[in-house]
Amino acid sequence: MSSTVATAPEKAAQKDRQVAKPRRRLPTPYLLLIPSVVILLIGMGYPLIWQTITSFQKFGLSQQFGQPAPFVGFENYLSLATNPDMWGVVVRSLVFMAVTAFITLAIGLLLAVLMTAVGKVVRLTLQISLLLAWAMPVVAAMTVWIWLFDRRRGVVNYLLDMIPGVEMNRFAWLENPFTFFMVACIIVVWMSVPFVAFSVYAGLTQVSDEVLEAAQLDGASAWQRLSFIIMPMIRPVIAIVLLLQLIWDLRVFTQITMLQDAGSRAAEFDLLGTYIYKLGAGSQDFGMASAVSIFVLLLTVAISWYYVRSLLKEDEQS
Amino acid sequence: MKRRYAALALGTAAALVLAGCSATTGNEGGNTGGSAEGQNITLWLMGGDTPDALRDYLKTEYKDATGGTLTIEEQGWGDALAKLTTSLPDAANTPDVVEIGNTWSPTFTNVGAFSDVSDLVPELGGDKLIQSFVEVGKVDGANYALPYYFGSRYNFYRKDIWAAAGKTVPTTLAEFDETVKSLRTDSQSGFYIGGSDWRNAISWIFANGGELAEKDGDKWVSTLSSENSQKGITQFAELFAGASLAPATEFDSTPWVNINNNEATGAPEAATIIAPGWAHWSIGDLAADPKDATKMVATWNDDVFGTFVLPGVDGGAAPVFAGGSNIAISAASKNQEGSRELLKIVFSPEYQTLLGENGLGPANLDYASALGDDQFAAALIESAASSKLTPAAPGWAAVEGAALLEEFFGKVSAGGDIKALSAEYDEKITALLN
Repeated sequence: MSSTVATAPEKAAQKDRQVAKPRRRLPTPYLLLIPSVVILLIGMGYPLIWQTITSFQKFGLSQQFGQPAPFVGFENYLSLATNPDMWGVVVRSLVFMAVTAFITLAIGLLLAVLMTAVGKVVRLTLQISLLLAWAMPVVAAMTVWIWLFDRRRGVVNYLLDMIPGVEMNRFAWLENPFTFFMVACIIVVWMSVPFVAFSVYAGLTQVSDEVLEAAQLDGASAWQRLSFIIMPMIRPVIAIVLLLQLIWDLRVFTQITMLQDAGSRAAEFDLLGTYIYKLGAGSQDFGMASAVSIFVLLLTVAISWYYVRSLLKEDEQS
Repeated sequence: MKRRYAALALGTAAALVLAGCSATTGNEGGNTGGSAEGQNITLWLMGGDTPDALRDYLKTEYKDATGGTLTIEEQGWGDALAKLTTSLPDAANTPDVVEIGNTWSPTFTNVGAFSDVSDLVPELGGDKLIQSFVEVGKVDGANYALPYYFGSRYNFYRKDIWAAAGKTVPTTLAEFDETVKSLRTDSQSGFYIGGSDWRNAISWIFANGGELAEKDGDKWVSTLSSENSQKGITQFAELFAGASLAPATEFDSTPWVNINNNEATGAPEAATIIAPGWAHWSIGDLAADPKDATKMVATWNDDVFGTFVLPGVDGGAAPVFAGGSNIAISAASKNQEGSRELLKIVFSPEYQTLLGENGLGPANLDYASALGDDQFAAALIESAASSKLTPAAPGWAAVEGAALLEEFFGKVSAGGDIKALSAEYDEKITALLN
């Protein structure tokens, strides 16, 4: 799928240039857009509008059961801004997002390059393993991961304990936030590497052999070919994959919740996703939960702004 | 060209989004009449506590009584609070009758989630119903949520280990604390309890005369900092540090795996645990299940395992957390009559007896004898008699949902400053209580 995303526009652009320039303006494209726009408005617009309104209200359980919800202006946002817990969660989430996304990207890139370098059998084995990891339902995968890191019977502790001088028997990985998020990071990376690897690999297959051969003839080393020819050519793929990873890792929820069930539900173990869930579903403070959600939305927009802007620029050029 | 791709992309995006919010249907046909005749209703049960035989009984009896179908949907305890919050106000999706954790009753009754069933109460058992549960389901004298079953917590211990160390069943809480501390070794907890396991930890607060929250005028105030609560919290922190090898963050464990022999070492990891009464089905000598070789079954062995009720500060039984559930009719349900029929079946002598026979404390105490007279029934009844509920504050479910008590006890167990933490969490909890 991602290969089409990356290359289709380029091809389309090429074609557009070949076809005669002046295009008649038909209303058909706009008519065709209507269904998806309507669906989008219902599917995303309604919740978004509801959430925005709620974030300016005092909305608790009684409001959920029909009491009128008083407007409180920016009160929810103000109390969030002055809440040190909230900023702790934001900082933790951003750090987790950045670390996890970059590690995922690095491993995914390496695997993609590896796939182009190895023979067919090895590549197929690699691809099938990646697909299996990718296809594994989150809950099933999490259960296995939690078993692996189990304090008493986990394979991880068992293996580490066998190293002479390492005393890891009964080490509780999920007991302190640092090791907790380390485990979470490993799991999330494991789950998202296949997507990155496949996307980048798809991009790599589009790099033409002729160009590489020419470069080789001109005396470019393998490293130079990788960094000056291949990487710039697949830069758009890497950019979009990184952006998606950043967004996914910012709103990571299932993995954290399930690790919390196995470890600790204390606030130090919260990321934005679980923080909102605790506020909304847990303490039934939907007003505050909406305010945090809106904040996360703005955060996401801010993070993807650079990418969206460069996308818009490309649009203008073509 | 690009535009058309964009349209395709948008369409895909919309499809993805819509798939994400899968619609939950599953409500029955629109019987809205005033009679129970033929009404199809849905009952939500929490967790697997109600055995299948009892579920089948309810379905059959309901069919016989009304001709309608009773659908039972099991909800996990973990996300029940969220599901109740979103489903109960919605007439199209609400279950008709729900089992709820007894401690959540005040929260939902106060916002008007349930129907007034005061007129039914005399017929359903009246004064014979377990009163602490009836109280939490009342608002302004009217009954909304009624008791479903009660459970209670008591101790299971390894007779072999206790005897080898020359210990006998303690009669006071202080003696209990000392005994289990002396039984701890590097590989065995004297008393296995998670550091964040607040549902058990509060027994030490209650035993010392402390409260989690008290009503000051018409406002609820968290009272972790009160003198008696402090005594209890301090005792618990010392007990955890001295007797348990569990992580300070553990809050919801299956302690019985620790009192059974570990297959790898042949020795248990705990000499004592506290657990709800039904845990005894999971405690005993382990052997492969003759019906399914992949599973292990535990067979209770009186020579190795024993039970006793957590002793109070001055002897007797300590007030442990009164586990159990309430049951109520959703105010938004269109099938009020059918729901009331179901309540009549639940509170019938036959069903109350069935509850008791399956180890669940029957809501109507007249049928408590159905629990039997073995040691488990005796321990259940004795511990339940002095058990205590969490505060009946409207915001109590929010306190539980925010995991504030897990957090507080976890920090206390990790060796934090009790006084400072109590003050900090008193403030956080009070903010949610009212």
